[in-house]
Amino acid sequence: MDPETFRRDLGAWLDDNANDLTPPYEGIGSMDAHMAHYSHVKRALFDSGFGRYGWPESVGGLGGSPLLRAIIGEEINFRDLADPNAWTMIEVLAPTVIDFAPPELSARLVPPFLRGDEMWCQGFSETDAGSDLASLSCRAAETDGGWVVNGQKIWTSFIEYSQRCVLLVRTGEPESAHRGITALLVDIDSPGIGYSPIETMHGRRDFAEVHFDDVFVPADRLLGEVNGGWQVAMDILPYERSTTFWHRGALLHRRFSDLAAQVSAAGNRGDAAAKALGQAFQWIVAFRSRSRDTQHQLAAGEQLGVETSVDKILITSAEQQLFETARDLLPGVMEFDDGLAAASWRNDYLYSKAATIYGGTAEIQRNIVARRLLDLGPES
Amino acid sequence: MSQFIDADDLALLASSFEAATADAPGPSEADQALYDLGWAELLASAPGQGAATAFNALGATGSAASLLDDVVVNALGAEAALQSCCVFPAPHKAEAPGHLRGETVMVDGLLSARAETAVAAVLGMGTENGVGLFAVDAGLLHGPAVDGIDPGRAYRRVVVEIPAEALEPTAAEGSWESAVAAARVALAHQLLGGARWMLGEARQHAIDRAQFGRPVAQFQAIRHKLAESLVQIEGAASVAGACLHDPDPMLAALAKSLAGQAARTTATHAQQVLAGIGFTAEHRFHLWLKRMLVVDTLFGSASSIPAEIGHQLLASGQAPRLIQL
Repeated sequence: MDPETFRRDLGAWLDDNANDLTPPYEGIGSMDAHMAHYSHVKRALFDSGFGRYGWPESVGGLGGSPLLRAIIGEEINFRDLADPNAWTMIEVLAPTVIDFAPPELSARLVPPFLRGDEMWCQGFSETDAGSDLASLSCRAAETDGGWVVNGQKIWTSFIEYSQRCVLLVRTGEPESAHRGITALLVDIDSPGIGYSPIETMHGRRDFAEVHFDDVFVPADRLLGEVNGGWQVAMDILPYERSTTFWHRGALLHRRFSDLAAQVSAAGNRGDAAAKALGQAFQWIVAFRSRSRDTQHQLAAGEQLGVETSVDKILITSAEQQLFETARDLLPGVMEFDDGLAAASWRNDYLYSKAATIYGGTAEIQRNIVARRLLDLGPES
Repeated sequence: MSQFIDADDLALLASSFEAATADAPGPSEADQALYDLGWAELLASAPGQGAATAFNALGATGSAASLLDDVVVNALGAEAALQSCCVFPAPHKAEAPGHLRGETVMVDGLLSARAETAVAAVLGMGTENGVGLFAVDAGLLHGPAVDGIDPGRAYRRVVVEIPAEALEPTAAEGSWESAVAAARVALAHQLLGGARWMLGEARQHAIDRAQFGRPVAQFQAIRHKLAESLVQIEGAASVAGACLHDPDPMLAALAKSLAGQAARTTATHAQQVLAGIGFTAEHRFHLWLKRMLVVDTLFGSASSIPAEIGHQLLASGQAPRLIQL
């Protein structure tokens, strides 16, 4: 199906089903409410067929270009129909699992994720392995019929609601760095997994610290090769930075439009307000344009690589500039107001501070651009 | 009718344009060289790609060629010619440069070097029914010579009064708005070509220049400045490229503003990385810096366009969804 027809048909279907798809919560809503509604929307899209386009038939999809998945997330975010981070988790994890899991495993496990019956999470970061991910130490030892995992992970989003986790573990010597890492697809209900939620500064329990205490993982849950986990982790990047970023760009575009509407309605139409709005908008459009180019490269089967660090820097800068502009142009609102709109601005403003930290910090991205795109040689 | 040129042919054109403009001693020789290479025909048959290629070359070589006149004339539906020039809007503005006051036309705008040798000029004038387009004897636009900041004298300010009877209406098919959009996209490419040149100079200097026993390119403070420059250039270049398939005037405005911002950022960072040598007249950096400052002001700048767009957004109370998959 061509993207334009798909967008039109999907838009008409979303409009027809707006009553059913609009979140029951007002304003920010609780995590429980978000996750329940996310599952509901995901299921409805699956049942309508729209949610199956862009995914291979081997995992319950209907085939077609991955651009179609980008369009679904874009429309969901423009209409604010589901939690954006929950919506996009499948884009981060499922394509790589499909690339690296044995076909029968992905054929069994991916469809429930696609249908919204399941959520998955990502176990990569550790307390001592943030930007330096290759130094991770959560360990998997070979045992009869599989692996025994011991250690900890941190910043694991949605684990409370998840059934599976894509986990990176150390299988080589401690100093083996990226050469001694293996990827496993772990069931969250395995005995020995525990977690403690982490409350963020924007007042949500978005993620958790996860503990693995002699957790048995069957051998058939291996993704890729033993000690080949770094390739799995790197495979995630192009997906995360194409479809997921496109989705988030749509969210930022909607929030920018909200801001323009609110500033306009407040009668704040001076040159200073106009200039600040225009400056915020231009970088949202710059990101969107760049991301569009990236989407088309992915859809054409091109190998995406380090150049997606440019996309990452553009979207994080645009996001932080947007919410700083909102703070300036809605004076005192996020600081002193408890209304629904104010709470959303406050939430998004605070959350935007994480944008230059998660998924590779702003500094790491600039290091990559300097080394790989500008060819400046090694750092001192 | 516009045609589409494939990437290989375009690359070939780009290198011949760069060679021709780099060798030309002055703007009129550069204009002539580009006309000899078929610039006017290219512009007529593939205006978007033609302008993008030529203006990138202008940015890369620092040429003062007056191709902007041709882009505006072509967008207005007339045939580009070496005898024709245009009056461009005043610095940081996109409004037509002419205003009627009684029997006199007050002109406040900018001229390229083409105006020195051209016979006829196109002048846009604000009227009750939008912008009217008129032909005027280019000789009437001559004013006192002003050096300005740009040693290449690519553009100069013109503030003159012309008797209204000296204006002849033209039968232009294109609108002033479409000419503004075409000029903005072309200038965005020039700014980006110049920004890439500045970034290239700074990059090479960082690799060659050693302090504390190693190339300064090894210092993160320097690497991050250059990385930030490249990111802004690529973001702006993507929008300028998108304008090739999308004639939305707001997108063209954004392309110009983003390119101006990318060029400003790159100039600032490149200046710092080039350090002492970049402050001398001996290094060519200052020529690109000064040209960038001039080109940034043409048809609205990185500081004036955001306000222009912001006012449109405030008036409509929403943001249009530009750029589709």
